[in-house]
Amino acid sequence: MEKAVQVEHLVKRFGSVNAVDGISFDVNQGEIFGILGPNGAGKTTTLEIIEGLQKPTQGKISVLGMDLARDSSKVKAKIGVQIQSAAYFDYLSLEEILKLLGTFYPKAVPARGLLEQVGLSDQAKMRLNQLSGGQKQRFTVAASLVNAPELVILDEPSTGLDPQARRSLWSLIRQIHQQNITIVLTTHYMEEAQALCQRLAIMDRGRLVALDTPANLIGRLGAAYTVKVVLNQPLSDEQVASFDGKVELVQVPSPGEALDGTTYLLRLKDHPAALVGVLEQIGKNGSGLEHLDITPVTLEDVFLELTGNELTEQP
Amino acid sequence: MTALFLANLKMMARNRQATFWALFFPLLLVVVFGLFEFNNVGTGRMWIVDHAGSPASQQIIAKVAAINLLHVQEGGTGEARARQHLAQGDLDYLLIIPAQNSSPTSAQAEPPAPVTLLYGSGNADRNQLVDGTVRHIVYEAASGFQAAQMPTATGDGLVKSQEIPVAQVSYFDMVLMGLVGLGIMTNSIISIAVRISTYRNLSILKRLLVTPLPIWKYLVGEVGAHLVVALVQAAIIIGVGVLVFGARIHGNLAWIFVIVALGSLVFLNIGFIVSAWSRTPAAASGMGNAIALPMMFFAGTFFSTAALPWVLPYVAQALPLTPMLVALRDVANGGEPLWNTWPQLAILGGWVLGTGAVATKVFRFN
Repeated sequence: MEKAVQVEHLVKRFGSVNAVDGISFDVNQGEIFGILGPNGAGKTTTLEIIEGLQKPTQGKISVLGMDLARDSSKVKAKIGVQIQSAAYFDYLSLEEILKLLGTFYPKAVPARGLLEQVGLSDQAKMRLNQLSGGQKQRFTVAASLVNAPELVILDEPSTGLDPQARRSLWSLIRQIHQQNITIVLTTHYMEEAQALCQRLAIMDRGRLVALDTPANLIGRLGAAYTVKVVLNQPLSDEQVASFDGKVELVQVPSPGEALDGTTYLLRLKDHPAALVGVLEQIGKNGSGLEHLDITPVTLEDVFLELTGNELTEQP
Repeated sequence: MTALFLANLKMMARNRQATFWALFFPLLLVVVFGLFEFNNVGTGRMWIVDHAGSPASQQIIAKVAAINLLHVQEGGTGEARARQHLAQGDLDYLLIIPAQNSSPTSAQAEPPAPVTLLYGSGNADRNQLVDGTVRHIVYEAASGFQAAQMPTATGDGLVKSQEIPVAQVSYFDMVLMGLVGLGIMTNSIISIAVRISTYRNLSILKRLLVTPLPIWKYLVGEVGAHLVVALVQAAIIIGVGVLVFGARIHGNLAWIFVIVALGSLVFLNIGFIVSAWSRTPAAASGMGNAIALPMMFFAGTFFSTAALPWVLPYVAQALPLTPMLVALRDVANGGEPLWNTWPQLAILGGWVLGTGAVATKVFRFN
């Protein structure tokens, strides 16, 4: 099957900095493809190159079977784009903006239908600044659909939304996906990537560090749970050594939490029962357990494993 | 493109506050200038053509020259040329002293040929004052040399005066065209510069760039809508100037709007260039003002630039507002047809092309 997007050896250099440093990946038709990474990883730059907003320094890109360098305007006619934090015209209603955008394309979807699809029918006559954050974001998604695109690119669609609005946006994205439209999105929320994406590219400092399904990425770690323990005094070296084999000590106090030096992040390799041994060890030393947090392994852990950095900054 | 053009107009109409101030700032100046009494008596230019060259005529000339209201110049015997100047409005008064007065002591009973005073119809108050004073001077001169032949005490018969209808162009008429140019310039430069720079800051330009809309169509849509605003603005300024403050337009209004449109194009292009150079809308506004305000003074919006020192008169000639104002005044005040202003139109056309080329080169979306 023809690929929706093919990126080969893409490099984008700004001065001496490689914002995108030789990445290659394919997006299959009809999938939701996510690019996950912290701010500054090169996600937006990669998308803007695919959208035709920036020229690559090196590399070859084809979109929907067309060479981007040669057929840029044909590509633009067939893709829908939501730009990170892009505003729209003041003094036009939602419906008028969609109609106007529609005139820029060879074919356009009726504005009313789009507004209905994103649940903004009642707001058709309103201006953008009268909407809530979630409504605005749904509107920008609607705006990316005016040309009945085969591929929709969403750049951090849920940034700045409250959890409820985020979930409502996710169901909208799934609904678009059901219309057999390929979706490429960037996010720095691993929860979002896990919930929405069929395949994920993980980017860090301009490089592609992994590309797989969320389940396979997590499966790579060979662990089921992450345990965070906070003690009232640090563990001795012997105690740490005794964990070997049963649990993996992935993180001795993280930089953000290094103040007391007593926070440990452990990954249970085989069985939850291993935790009992760990707790016994801690008890032997007379270290009091102040906090215990057991969570299933997530993409956050995958990211940490792959890059040595946390994906989202600690508050 | 048409949809974008119409949407732009719609947005401008809905942004009432900005549109109001853009349109009414120059109008405010119209009101201020309209309230001044520029047409108070003032000084008139008079030429005296002396065919007599006698002591009597010399006395008349000396006394007339002493009248405060007049700036007198002796025109030799070039009567025909002087009459022409008068008819064109370049001259306010023409005094012709006939040859017969050269024989004041002749004993002929025949009354002398009258002194002729001609004046343009521009300033009725001053005309009346000058007419009366000249009659008095001529009477005095005649009574000194030829007392016996004085027909009446008022000098009737000695002076024959005649009003020549000329196109009346007041200072306000000239300033009104200056204000049209000023309004179009400031509004075109600043409004488009601020708008584009706002759009760039909000990533609206970026959003447009991901559509297949070609850049030139976007620019035409913007320029077109702003041109319409410029024409409406010119119509409002001229309308208020004429209807409220009694300004006179002698030329064809359609030609005036052609010149306005051409000038507006130059300034819109400059606005695009300003928007490309400025990082924020506030900077765009400041930069636009920095370009527009000096140009306002150097191009002779309110007063003649002849008094400018050093190379500045040449600088003034090189600015785009200068040919626009010259063309506007030639048509509106001078009643000339559009094609007579072709040198100015050619300069403006050059500016349109030059600034257009720079604008497309420096324009950026982000």
